[in-house]
Amino acid sequence: MTAHLPETKRKYDLTFARWVSRNVHGGDKLNMCMQCGVCSGSCPLGEQMDYGPRRLFMMIRAGMKDEVMKSDTIWNCVACYRSEVRCPRGVPVTHILDSLSVVAVREGYAEAKNAETTRFAKAFWWSAKKFGLTDERLVTALYYFSGGIGEGIRKGMANQKIALRMIGKKRMHVGMPRKIKRRGELKKILAKAVEIENRNDAAAGEEVKS
Amino acid sequence: MSNGKLSSRTILVVGGGIAGISATVEAAEAGYEVVLVESSPTLGGRVAQLNRYFPKLCQPTCGLEINYQRIKKNRAIKVYTMTSVGKVEGETGNFTVSLNTRPRFVKANCTACGDCAGAAESEIDNPFNYGMDKTKAAYLPHAMAFPLRYVIDPSVIGSPEAEKIKASCTVDAVDLEDKEGSFEIGVGAIIWATGWQPYGAEKITQYGYGEVADVINNVEMERLAAMNGPTAGRIVRPSDGKEAKRVAFIQCAGSRDEKHLPYCSRICCLGSLKHAAYLREQYADAEIDIYYIDIRAHDKLEGFYQKLKNDPQVNFIKSKPGSIVRGESGDPTVKGENTITREIYANSYDLVVLATGMEPSARGEGSSVNLQRDEYGFVVPCVFEPDGMIAAGVASGPLDVSMSVQSATAAALRAIQAIAQGEGK
Repeated sequence: MTAHLPETKRKYDLTFARWVSRNVHGGDKLNMCMQCGVCSGSCPLGEQMDYGPRRLFMMIRAGMKDEVMKSDTIWNCVACYRSEVRCPRGVPVTHILDSLSVVAVREGYAEAKNAETTRFAKAFWWSAKKFGLTDERLVTALYYFSGGIGEGIRKGMANQKIALRMIGKKRMHVGMPRKIKRRGELKKILAKAVEIENRNDAAAGEEVKS
Repeated sequence: MSNGKLSSRTILVVGGGIAGISATVEAAEAGYEVVLVESSPTLGGRVAQLNRYFPKLCQPTCGLEINYQRIKKNRAIKVYTMTSVGKVEGETGNFTVSLNTRPRFVKANCTACGDCAGAAESEIDNPFNYGMDKTKAAYLPHAMAFPLRYVIDPSVIGSPEAEKIKASCTVDAVDLEDKEGSFEIGVGAIIWATGWQPYGAEKITQYGYGEVADVINNVEMERLAAMNGPTAGRIVRPSDGKEAKRVAFIQCAGSRDEKHLPYCSRICCLGSLKHAAYLREQYADAEIDIYYIDIRAHDKLEGFYQKLKNDPQVNFIKSKPGSIVRGESGDPTVKGENTITREIYANSYDLVVLATGMEPSARGEGSSVNLQRDEYGFVVPCVFEPDGMIAAGVASGPLDVSMSVQSATAAALRAIQAIAQGEGK
């Protein structure tokens, strides 16, 4: 038993649940949650999350803002969508966790640059934007070295064998990075996506600060 | 005699389950002519397929026997089995209903001796046991069948086997020329007691029904426990016949789920509690885990829940499991989060029973009729104005047996009122 009993001394932010409902994508569906546990029970990461979605959602209701914003649950979600697909109440679990990580950074609770998932996402996105394709080698390298030169060398050496085998099986490309044709078109598509997102967010009463 | 037409004082009851039977005898004993139609070869419906039922855990043979007697003694009742409703025309007091019959290939002079079953060679999935065993192509639906008359499966008709079956009958009751037919009747009111079917558990893909061995549903559990079931009442695993001593029950398998049945099916909590009692009675060392969101043991039966709750060999785990998979040992393994202890678990069992809910029967009864249905497909019972279209039993919503009987009695009265009001116009 690792029960979180309410401490009488500490303060609970009773407006937090409403704030989440208004500022987190899908947060307005949180009041549908009936605490059945199917989300946490379906999570492939299971015990590797500090709380898991069900507990996190109850903590939001309880107004435990600090614990929610600092939890690793919102960063460790791998977006497999199992919980979202199985939720009997239609709560968009994956979307809520993803959006919570964005607001946690915005609110100054979490340093996005320190989160492994953010660092990987940045590397992935850099390649996708630049070439229109992901280059396994460059994405991996960028991700490894995003934690500093020492970490980059250490991780690179540890995974050398896998990389060589991937090259052998032609799963990792060597030479100049491959690019898609007409990258200008991709740029336009991405610019349009940003425009739409900003417009939607403005309609939702907020602006994306990136 | 409102508009010069002769209004009918006959009541049609569609569906011969416990609700249809109850509505029939109640209306007939109040002095009305009743026509009871049932699409399967026998009356009794889902209740006949139970091992025991609430509130007193009697065997269904008892309740059915009493009602069959009431039907037999009442000359105002006409029963048509293997008959379904085609078209309904007209209005309250003056409905014209066309009824379609399927061939049974056995005439009314059948003595249920069983010689035809002895002569038959081919076997079909036994619908009475939800296909868990086989029955001969010439069969009696079950020991409490009404009418007590054999049926010949259409699959053997036209084969030499059919001739052999016919030859075996000593009272010449086999009629291989039996055809589909239809006829019309005039009635004043119609009671729809079309019942339910278990929700298709295979649609809840993460629970592995039909894929993981020894994951069954609750109606199959009822057959396993029944003396006239596929295992003669021994609760064993379907895969290897091993005694099922460590058993898990998964509540709300499909019910209270916006992706499946959004409503609570009401019967499944007590159903699983009853199954736990079957197991405890059969195996002194049975260990039972019941996974639940909330236990909804309604009405007077809270005490039954409390009794099992105090049993140290019955554990209640507040959790909706995430998935059921085949474990390394081959046993079904339930995975999820215990929402009280907050632990992630993976527990193996001999047998896992999914407490599937009730959905309105899709056998097509009344599908050609413009019945007012709610968003889930249940027939909306008309309460405010006298209407000759009345729902009874689970056709109107998820109910247990005693509530179905209450609903059927109410429906009989409402049908009588609708007819009386029409006559008084």
